[in-house]
Amino acid sequence: MSDPASTAMKPGRILRIELCVGVAIVAALALFPIVIGSQYQLFIATQVGVYLMVAIGLNFLTGYGGQASIGHGALMAIGAYTAAILMVDHQWPFWPAAGAGMVLTAIGGALMALPAFRVSTWYFALITLGFAHVVSGMLIEWGGLTHSFDGIVSIPMPAAFGETLGPRGLFWLVAGLNVVAFVLVRNLVRSRVGRGLIAVRDNPAAAMASGVSLVGVKMLAFVFSAVLAGLAGALFAVQKTVITPDDFTAEFSIFFLVVVVLGGAGSLWGPVLGTIVFFVVPEFLEALQGWRLLVYGIVLLALMRFAPSGLVGAITEMARSVPALRRPSSAAPEIAPPGTEELPASAPASLRIEGLGKRFGGVAALDGVSIAIPAGAVHAIVGPNGSGKTTLLNLVSGYYKADAGSAMLDDLELLGRSPVAISRRGIGRTFQTPKMLPDLTVIENVMLGGYAAERASVIEVALRLPRSRREAARQRRQAAHYLRFVGLQDQLFIKAGELPHGQQRLAEIARALVGNPRLLLLDEPAAGLSMDELDRLGALIKSIVAQGTTVAIVEHHLDLVGAICESVTVLDRGKVLASGRPEQVFSDPAVLSAYMGSHASVVGSASP
Amino acid sequence: MLFQILLNGIAAGSLYALVAVGYNILYRPTNVFNFAQGDFVMLGAMIGASVATLYGLPWYAAAAASALAVGILGGIEQKIAVGPILRRSTSSHAWIISTLAVSLILANLVGLFWGPDPIRLQPPWPLSVRTFQALGVRMSSYQIALIAGTVAAVFLIERFYRSRRGRAVLAVAEDRDAALLRGIDPERLSFWSFVLGGMFAGLTGVLAAPMLYASVGLAPLVLIKGFEAAAIGGIGNNRGALLAGYILGIAEAFSAVVLSPGYQQATTFGLMLLILLVRPQGLLGQRETRYV
Repeated sequence: MSDPASTAMKPGRILRIELCVGVAIVAALALFPIVIGSQYQLFIATQVGVYLMVAIGLNFLTGYGGQASIGHGALMAIGAYTAAILMVDHQWPFWPAAGAGMVLTAIGGALMALPAFRVSTWYFALITLGFAHVVSGMLIEWGGLTHSFDGIVSIPMPAAFGETLGPRGLFWLVAGLNVVAFVLVRNLVRSRVGRGLIAVRDNPAAAMASGVSLVGVKMLAFVFSAVLAGLAGALFAVQKTVITPDDFTAEFSIFFLVVVVLGGAGSLWGPVLGTIVFFVVPEFLEALQGWRLLVYGIVLLALMRFAPSGLVGAITEMARSVPALRRPSSAAPEIAPPGTEELPASAPASLRIEGLGKRFGGVAALDGVSIAIPAGAVHAIVGPNGSGKTTLLNLVSGYYKADAGSAMLDDLELLGRSPVAISRRGIGRTFQTPKMLPDLTVIENVMLGGYAAERASVIEVALRLPRSRREAARQRRQAAHYLRFVGLQDQLFIKAGELPHGQQRLAEIARALVGNPRLLLLDEPAAGLSMDELDRLGALIKSIVAQGTTVAIVEHHLDLVGAICESVTVLDRGKVLASGRPEQVFSDPAVLSAYMGSHASVVGSASP
Repeated sequence: MLFQILLNGIAAGSLYALVAVGYNILYRPTNVFNFAQGDFVMLGAMIGASVATLYGLPWYAAAAASALAVGILGGIEQKIAVGPILRRSTSSHAWIISTLAVSLILANLVGLFWGPDPIRLQPPWPLSVRTFQALGVRMSSYQIALIAGTVAAVFLIERFYRSRRGRAVLAVAEDRDAALLRGIDPERLSFWSFVLGGMFAGLTGVLAAPMLYASVGLAPLVLIKGFEAAAIGGIGNNRGALLAGYILGIAEAFSAVVLSPGYQQATTFGLMLLILLVRPQGLLGQRETRYV
């Protein structure tokens, strides 16, 4: 799932190219009905436009949001039937009727989404499938409303500017709405909303650590995608003038999934390319009418195995292998440093853990652990594998539910709050294995960390209103600043997945810092670093504290701990074994015998 | 009347429970939910009915042929559509689309081979689908046997999971890498889970055929009802699947009487949404909140 839009290039140049392409496409769409000779071709082109709109919405949900829907045909049916019934049986004009259809599909989308907030991703696919079956059953069962098998006939054309549209007008309407839908999706996926959506898809833990509300982001994707399907349904009804239950079979829903996957799920042009390719080969489809679903199945399976990024992915891959098209790295744009007012000094917070307990099944992972970390300190938590260090971090940051005890950030109880709420209260964290979003660039990953700091609403973001642009630019400057701070200034526009492991750790620290945390939890940041990198990490943590953040660090590397920490807690089998200043703790005989053993000499050399 | 609805509901629910157990057999070690499972059940019914009706072989031979054929198909699916995709990334949900693709392919191939006409399969001697009146309720010996057999199957499978080998299977689902260290090859286990899940689905189809007829149209119905039972009961939990199957069967039977048969799908679907909203992990399921 690649998005060519997110690769390195000067933003100004991208915008200029986009503008040219956009103008060319709009001009082509405007001229098409005038140039084209046959009414039939115009009819087909309009139909392609209607399908494309559903595909654009489905791509937003399935491609970017990672939620596969097998029910978009049913959502379209709701939009189509609502508009048609209101127009034919109640003489509503097109626009209010289509609006009512969109409202109903939005409700339908939200209804399907409700369980998806709390259960796994794949449930959603089956729930949408079940929903589709229920809708097609109801189209027949509620015959009084839907005219059952007869369907709804002689649906009138919509009117615009007081004139009833002809076939050309309808084409222009559909084409124009598609351009609007495309631009809205483009603006959304390139904003914090898009980053949040991709984070929820690829790494929910990273999303929550950055303060992204899973519920909010998913709900947006569901509803937006459903509304587009509803609008497409209304256009479908007026375009065909007759709709029957047979128009909205399970095959229809699967068709949209095929189109999106074929074009390239999670890339802006994917649905466009997929829809067009599907209709450019009509003879092929004609010959295989009876085999359609079989062909869909084979195409889907082959794509998932051999080209999961679809046509767009394959084309991008090819373009990359041509040296002339490879972009020089010097094209990376300069990002101005943020102004001083954009880097607010945070006030470090204290953390007081008391009597913390957690059991997994019959095993006590933590049992009555108490730790006090004063504001502005660097505190290390050490102990053998399985002693409960990471469990402790996960409890404090809300990923696990504690069985007993309390954890106070200054005077705020953390236990019982969600990871998102805790992140938004000023706790940043990293993970034992860095949780980066591999398909996004390093700077986009780091910008995710500032998700909660942006105030612009979804509508402002979708329309690129001034406030959202201002905030995005500020976010970009801050992210670049913190990447410079951790020493990754040359890696800004590399895909995060291509970064070496050690640098991913540093980038993850930068992501946490963008959120301006008052307390930073680091989970084994030194694992796998070279001696040189280790020294730099030590210096980095010191400067993090200096800018106003308390740091709690889980670490095996006792040299590092001795060099940067004021205090240490040793955990052993879920209990505190010793606590105090590093040199004191590391010379404690109980600690030496119970845990360090052969490491003791190393510690001796590190502590003064 | 009430007892009649309950009995019919429990008999239908037993079938839903069997489908859900088939999902679970496959899901527990692999964390993959097979979208082609409905087609597996349908294919099992078709093969069983064809072997018995067209070739005149005894019921047991038909059941064995179904289990074998669908089991092999399960193995093939794992090799083509699941293994390679999980190897690319264990966390990816690309298997949703690839197993859905297998379902489309199977459904259409079966349609080409057999055509749309349903086939009837007679239950094995001495069972019969002919109904008789007892205790004021109409029932058949096959219904009773199906209900009892389902309970026994769930009981046996649960016992297996409590054995040493069974626990090893579950260990893989918890942590692939740790299982690897203990000498369990997740890839092989995944393959055999698909074979076993396929065999179970084939048998489920044979069991369903005397009551539902064997036809291509069976697959989507089975897929959704089975999922509803698995989700309501708690995915991976077989006793939950049994309970949920009963709940679904009875709700369906009631709605057919009280509303109209057209509302059966909507009733069970709404019931599932409602239950998932209150208990997302299902009635007997364990809560999964591990992200880290």
